[in-house]
Amino acid sequence: MNLGLEYALPILTDPMVIGLIIAGTLIGVIIGALPGLSSSMGVALLLPFSLYLDPIPAIALLSALYCAGTFGGSITAILINAPGAPPAVATAFDGYPMALKGEAGRALGIATVASVSGGILSLLVLLFAAPLLAQIAYSFGPPEYFALGVFALSMLASISSEAPIKNLIGGCLGLLIATVGIDLTTGIERFTFGVPELLEGIQFIPVLIGLFAVTELLSQAQELNRQKISIALSAVKLPSLNDFRRVKNTILRSSGIGIFVGVLPAEGSTMAAMIGYNEAKRWSDRPEEFGKGAIEGVAGPEAANNAATGGSMVPTLALGIPGSATAAVILGGLQVQGLRPGPYLFEEQPGLLYAIFFAMLLANVLFLFIGLLGAKVFSRISLIPSTFLWPTVFALCCVGAYSLNQSMVDVWIMLISGLVGFVLKKNGFGPAPIIMGIVLGGLIETSLAQSMIIFDQQWTEFLSRPIAMAFFMLAVVSLAATQFRSVLAMLLPRKNKKT
Amino acid sequence: MKHENTIAGILLLGFCAIAYWLTMGFGSVSPMLAQNVPPTFFPRVVLFILAVLSGILIFTGIGRKPKSAEFLPASFWKTVGIIISTGVLAYFLGILITLAVIAVVLPIAWGERRYRLIATLAIFLPISIYIVFTLGLDVRFPAGRVLDAVL
Repeated sequence: MNLGLEYALPILTDPMVIGLIIAGTLIGVIIGALPGLSSSMGVALLLPFSLYLDPIPAIALLSALYCAGTFGGSITAILINAPGAPPAVATAFDGYPMALKGEAGRALGIATVASVSGGILSLLVLLFAAPLLAQIAYSFGPPEYFALGVFALSMLASISSEAPIKNLIGGCLGLLIATVGIDLTTGIERFTFGVPELLEGIQFIPVLIGLFAVTELLSQAQELNRQKISIALSAVKLPSLNDFRRVKNTILRSSGIGIFVGVLPAEGSTMAAMIGYNEAKRWSDRPEEFGKGAIEGVAGPEAANNAATGGSMVPTLALGIPGSATAAVILGGLQVQGLRPGPYLFEEQPGLLYAIFFAMLLANVLFLFIGLLGAKVFSRISLIPSTFLWPTVFALCCVGAYSLNQSMVDVWIMLISGLVGFVLKKNGFGPAPIIMGIVLGGLIETSLAQSMIIFDQQWTEFLSRPIAMAFFMLAVVSLAATQFRSVLAMLLPRKNKKT
Repeated sequence: MKHENTIAGILLLGFCAIAYWLTMGFGSVSPMLAQNVPPTFFPRVVLFILAVLSGILIFTGIGRKPKSAEFLPASFWKTVGIIISTGVLAYFLGILITLAVIAVVLPIAWGERRYRLIATLAIFLPISIYIVFTLGLDVRFPAGRVLDAVL
């Protein structure tokens, strides 16, 4: 397969593209470092701007932001015990105790080296696995894509073990939102309520800005009295050779975990980080140090969460199935740009894979310097008063939603999505499954309709498609595993009580 | 909020019922044109799954201990009010002036009392947006009914 390095090189040596990647990295670290702002929200807010760029620079910008945003959260997790983004939650478990002991610099150094290692390893996997997966996907027809979509939705159940049913409900709500507008097969209006702007469906960008950013604005409105304490940061230094020897296996293991979790549809950096942390503890010679400032407790989640970023781009690009919530937003960006994620993407956009690889690689190299030299400055950013930060974010939400079609209906959709998203979040329904549902809705409905036409309405014909059946089986296993975990979680406390 | 899963499940079932009723109002086409996949097919499949999941949610909520109601501070309700008023204000005042108003009102609602900083934000935020979006990206913001009438 021609991956288009010759197409990519002129673009990637363009100073504007390099400037965009640097800007994406800086914005990503800032967004990641600001508590409440995540890389998903950052990509969502930047998406309307990126539409004014050509596809490759736009995706390079968003990919750099994705990588840097995931890393940025670790700075505030370590320094002020306020993880800037959910993937950095596990980093705070040991990073903050290290900072309290006066080892903030060592913790940041470990976090930076682990993040960069995980990120670069995952990019190598992306470069080789995405084209291979795309080649396999050439043989997929509508039944296989439908089954793959069902498998991706089933994986939503395991995004968080606390609410598998709620995640699946969120996915279904997303699918339902995706049905709004004119049905492509028959030309019949569905759920449009006579509003002409809804004929083309509910725009993806206003919904995701509302669900991620406005919902978080409302959450922040509840937590205005939270105190942020900044720890004095001595010069950030690289981990010593001894430190590096101690964490190198953790980094390698957690990178593998992160890449695997990232490649799985719907799973993202947060889950990778939690597994990375647990495995680091399980394999450690000194598990009793965890929670009190173990360097493996910083290296494990950081290597895993950053490795998941490259991993999650594999199914996103090769199959059109997002590997994480942020990848879903990038996938939406690709679609809005008029690109068709899936096996034909690399033919239609030669150079795109290299552009993403290069953007993420440069982002990793850049935040190596940012993490080691600029952490003190970036940690100060987190002290920006929320009373000024959030009005600015809200203004960007309004402008971002409006600028897509220059329509006030989109602003209303964004505002309503934010309010509904907050009510749902309060009841345990996160925004990520809904976004996944919206992104996958078109693919699932179209491939189901095409399958039913091919099969002449005979559902049982799915049994004659081995790849589709394999995906259905994986979906069943995924759902059963989640239920098994829930039952286990219910039984274990009872057992503990008895003992 | 008591028995949150049960209540959420019941509300979702109600939503499914309304959405199903709405699908009954979809226009119809001949089976030949629809190729036996009518426009109601997919939404109804999703609604069926949603109803089943809502049923499971109700079932799982029954045995659980009810949660105590959560207190939402005044700043939260003020923010909700500001979010809703944004759309209405933008209709009358246009987006840029509305954003300037929000840059004043939202910080004050959140307890900020450094008025010089608030004023700086209120001036520079819409101006920066105008420079980046209107001058840089050619996005035309509506002036709003009031400005339209005045101009």
